[in-house]
Amino acid sequence: MAKKLYIFGIGGTGSRVIKSLAMLLASGCKLKNDFDTVIPIIIDPDTSNGDLNRTKDILKLYQEIRNQVNQPNDFFGQEIKTVNELANKSSVVNSEYFQFNLNDVDQSTFGQYIGFNSLDDDYKNSQDDKNFTRLLYSEQNLNSNLNVGFKGNPNMGAIVLNQFTDSGDFKRFGQTFNDDDAIFIINSIFGGTGAAGFPLILKNLRGNTNIPNSAKIKKSKIGGITYLPYFALNKKDEVNSDSFEDKAKIAIDYYNRTIIKQNKVNFIYFVGNKGNTKYLKYAVGGKEQKNDAHFLEMAGALAIFDFCENINKTTNKTQVKEFGIENDSEPIKFRDLNLNNQKEIAKPLTKYKLFAEYLNIGLPKALNKSRWTKSNIKLVNKTENSFLDEQYFNRPEYKIQIEAFNNHFISWLNEMENNKPSFSPYNKISWRDALNLIKGGPNLEITKSFKAIDIENCKLITEIGIRSTSKAMHTTLIKIFGKSTENVLNKHNLLKQEKNV
Amino acid sequence: MNDLFAIIYEVWFGLWESEYDVIFQTLFDYGGYNLLGLTFITVPLIIFASFYFLWKYPYANLWHWVLLLLVVFIVTGVISWGISNNEIFLSDNQSLIDALADPESGYEQFANTLPLKHALTNGFLSLILGFFYSLILKQFSKIQIHLPF
Repeated sequence: MAKKLYIFGIGGTGSRVIKSLAMLLASGCKLKNDFDTVIPIIIDPDTSNGDLNRTKDILKLYQEIRNQVNQPNDFFGQEIKTVNELANKSSVVNSEYFQFNLNDVDQSTFGQYIGFNSLDDDYKNSQDDKNFTRLLYSEQNLNSNLNVGFKGNPNMGAIVLNQFTDSGDFKRFGQTFNDDDAIFIINSIFGGTGAAGFPLILKNLRGNTNIPNSAKIKKSKIGGITYLPYFALNKKDEVNSDSFEDKAKIAIDYYNRTIIKQNKVNFIYFVGNKGNTKYLKYAVGGKEQKNDAHFLEMAGALAIFDFCENINKTTNKTQVKEFGIENDSEPIKFRDLNLNNQKEIAKPLTKYKLFAEYLNIGLPKALNKSRWTKSNIKLVNKTENSFLDEQYFNRPEYKIQIEAFNNHFISWLNEMENNKPSFSPYNKISWRDALNLIKGGPNLEITKSFKAIDIENCKLITEIGIRSTSKAMHTTLIKIFGKSTENVLNKHNLLKQEKNV
Repeated sequence: MNDLFAIIYEVWFGLWESEYDVIFQTLFDYGGYNLLGLTFITVPLIIFASFYFLWKYPYANLWHWVLLLLVVFIVTGVISWGISNNEIFLSDNQSLIDALADPESGYEQFANTLPLKHALTNGFLSLILGFFYSLILKQFSKIQIHLPF
């Protein structure tokens, strides 16, 4: 039976892990155990956050492309939907619905949000007073604008985030929840939004009876990933990365007592990196906070795959898992991952990398020359003509959907390569040596150019089942490259050789 | 087939000359026409079949096809010249040998012109057949289906 996986991504790290997940799903990775729909839910008060908006844009593009493919089963095979689409049975793609709204955080300070000025100064004769509040929150906390998040202060986040369980978004989430659906929560333990949000969401999922279908939600399978510090900031100010580790220790202790020991989740994954980290450009939030993609965010996405794969192996106790790699090398390549992860991602990522690079480098040589790009072939059956002609590649839908998504994909890989630890499984390629893209892969002497892809495309273009229709215009492109890249990888044993190196 | 080929060369292309009948009779009787005919039929077929089914070059355009047609013309012409030359000058027909050996007969002079005429004729025929082969073979080709158009 088809099942849904709701993924709560809290804060900037949550957004970035969901971005990595979207990239893996686009490349054809699939969740196991019949999870056919992924519902990302981003919780972040920092609505102008660069990471958040980039992720929302990527998710929207994913949906737009997938909606234009008839029965996708390779690239973009997994369905991604918003809670709004499920609740309203609508197919309108709107990136705003990937984020749960938080009220009153747009222009107010934390002090205004909690009504600090309306509190009494007279602690003797009043039930609430400013002085007690000052014990919990510094002046800086009280004057902090909420529209850029909680600046690493979970004590603020715990108050503000508490409201979202009363929101319409959260109710809609409950309405759409079915038996066998599952929940996954992503947070970082060393910041503000994520550290505060995880226990809060969990508390509501396991105990808030005001949510529709609360009984189903309460007994549902829940997994979570908690990020330990994995980057540092190049400036010490309101957010100081020197404090990440101490904050993480305190939060872990709290999580251990309130989540793990009380078995509130079925699986909890810990991911972190110490020592070999990159100093990121300082930004407390807003559009300036647009951190480069990181290998550990992809590792977080892999935890989601692991959660779905092992969902039937749960016990009454919380299972704690850590992410590790096989070889501690720099840069990390496919062969450095453990075998399961290699199997899971090496082929799909390489296929999509070939696809995205081909459209940038290979297509100009083939366009209007190779038969798979020609729609005006004479004296043949109509079905021999291709839908993927020059006109298709000039269509706005191709440029603003496929090209835009692929640019995000290439940037994502490049950013992971330039981050620390670097994940760099691919060589820089040109048209001539395109098939030599895998680091440590076979050194191909003869056929190594993108010609191999064009040959496969020519053979596949007339195959039944991959022709586009006016309502699914990306069908042919997405399906033909799903098959042709697979054929090329298999024929040249690109991945098998990699393992033996 | 021999009759058909003889008609093609002797009548349609007007190569027949009554004064040198022994040459034409030899080509007819000793299978020369069959060889020439098979050449203009098979050479373009083999070359175009290779082009449509064996050549895995996905960027071929009309000029590649035209160039191939030229190759077909040349290959057919060269083979046809060789066949014609062999069939005439290395014939076992004693009458033709005698005629060629007699300088007064003018046979040798005429015979020397025939291989080139056969080469050009076959080259021309191979161009026409090659074009039609293309229209048929392209239907089954995966990579060059768009050629010649």
